[in-house]
Amino acid sequence: MAIHVARDRIKSQSHYRVQHVFNLLVVNGILWIAVVVSLYPIIMMIVNSFKERSDILVNPSGLPALFTTSNYVTVLMQAAPYFLNAILVATVTTVLSVFLAALAAFAFAKYEFPGRNIIFVLLLTTILVPSEISIAPLYLIFSGINWIDTYQVQIVPALISVFGMFMIRQYMLSIPNSLLDAARIDGANDWLLFWRIIVPTCTPVLSAFATLQFLGMWNNYLWPLIVANDSSVEPIMVFLPNLRDQVVGFLPDWGTIMAGCVLTSVPVMIVFLLFQKRFISGVVVGSVK
Amino acid sequence: MEDQAVSLQGITQHNGVQQVAHATSSALENAVQRGQRPLQKRRRKRIKLAPYLFILPFVLFFLILFVGPTIYSLILSFYRYRGYGAAVFVGWQNYNALWQYGVFWSELRNTIFYWLVHVIPMMALAFLLALLVRSKLAAWPTFLKPVLFLPNVMAIVAASLVFQSFFGTDYGVMNQLLHIKVDWLHNYAITRYVVVALVLWRNTGWWFIVFLVGLTSINPDLEEAAHIDGATLWQRLRFIILPLMRNTFLFAFVIDAIGSMRIFTEPNVLLAGGGSMANPEVAPLLNMLVDNLNNGNFGQAAAVGWVFFLLGIVAAVIQFRVFRGSEEVE
Repeated sequence: MAIHVARDRIKSQSHYRVQHVFNLLVVNGILWIAVVVSLYPIIMMIVNSFKERSDILVNPSGLPALFTTSNYVTVLMQAAPYFLNAILVATVTTVLSVFLAALAAFAFAKYEFPGRNIIFVLLLTTILVPSEISIAPLYLIFSGINWIDTYQVQIVPALISVFGMFMIRQYMLSIPNSLLDAARIDGANDWLLFWRIIVPTCTPVLSAFATLQFLGMWNNYLWPLIVANDSSVEPIMVFLPNLRDQVVGFLPDWGTIMAGCVLTSVPVMIVFLLFQKRFISGVVVGSVK
Repeated sequence: MEDQAVSLQGITQHNGVQQVAHATSSALENAVQRGQRPLQKRRRKRIKLAPYLFILPFVLFFLILFVGPTIYSLILSFYRYRGYGAAVFVGWQNYNALWQYGVFWSELRNTIFYWLVHVIPMMALAFLLALLVRSKLAAWPTFLKPVLFLPNVMAIVAASLVFQSFFGTDYGVMNQLLHIKVDWLHNYAITRYVVVALVLWRNTGWWFIVFLVGLTSINPDLEEAAHIDGATLWQRLRFIILPLMRNTFLFAFVIDAIGSMRIFTEPNVLLAGGGSMANPEVAPLLNMLVDNLNNGNFGQAAAVGWVFFLLGIVAAVIQFRVFRGSEEVE
């Protein structure tokens, strides 16, 4: 009897082992297919950006027959100013919007003042209103003051983010009041409290919001397509698709376009991979809490 | 007492004598300990202005850039205005014209198609990947997480251009790999699915991470206990994980639906022939707004903006209904 039980146990253990190996293979098989699908377009973008024009046409899915960096030279000669436009607009917008959001979040999180709750709730309800509603009026307003095709028309509408302000406020609520009281007692005024105490302690959430904001501006396509088509202010994302129009023999120069795509995306990816823990938690912080 | 504290603070700031500051703070602390009015309350009375100054720039910009334009937009949507001359009140005509315009329905259909076709596979795939990565069977989860998220880091314009080159008819990677010759980007029945493929490729990683965070927040003891009690994998999924993930799912579906109504960049960059806009056969609804803006029909453009508002509400309400319904079933 006891032998029977022992034999059964061994049997079931070996069965369990087979099952386990099978599970391992299935789980990792699915995950690796997902990895390949995720990476393949990115890798081919990079590979094709180093191919010669004719090489891409004959052999779009293989390794370059002749490794060349000429696509990068071509794209930088044309697109360098557009990259600078995009970097300038995204940087200025990010710095200003983080500052404005943090300042307002501080007041909402750490002060009690008449009207605080009503103002806060009014601001929050507007998160649900899509920005498409104000495209037409904003266009009219900005063209009325001759701001079409300027940097400021790209920066100003993105200066306030209610979502960002909310995200920062939630974080600030967790900062103990005793920290602020201690600084007050030592003679810090309200501005110093914000600048010396709140900003340094809120660095994680501020950098998370800054990342979101910078990426959002960097990726922005619709609004600059409408208001910033002059080459002196146009950002790279609006310019990049135009490279397709430079056809030779009815075909766009995909190598140059891929080089442009690499330049817009790979630096961001490298930053992401270096700081991925912070980056992911920052990206998800607003969506899970 | 309060005046004294203020003057002492003034001295501190003038002379920079730390000791005085300490004296002040200990004096105040003593006052609090002796059960006088709490420090906080007295403070609040003195610094009433500061919080208003702090929210002022934000609220001011908010009024100028958001509240003002929203009201302006509502009024504008009832007028015919070409950006110069007089605006003519036309009542509901801007809206009525939309319903009667075939392109509106075609573009609305495309937007809803792009949403409906991608949402179920994307959420299912993202959730499956999250489950697999969290299971103890996955090798190198720390490598998998960033790699599966990576497509989302790529710029939408760049991703669209890469997909366009991939799905080229004569020289595209897809046709070459599969040894076929499909006209992916010009046969509109197929083209719509290429847009969906792009959305799936770029966005699955985002929800994968969101679901992973949601799964990680579930107490592992719950599952362990069920496992010991003999619950199968499917039972644990059905009765423990899914109910606990309901709010995350609701959030994901609502946000994705609202975002999907506003799809613009993917189809337009991917499918544009000449110029920067896709053919109305495959274009999303947002093209209607941009076209009207480019043609100087500002009233009409504002009306399209309000259609987006309604669409977002409808999409959100449907999701809440569906999830409310599933809750009652259980």
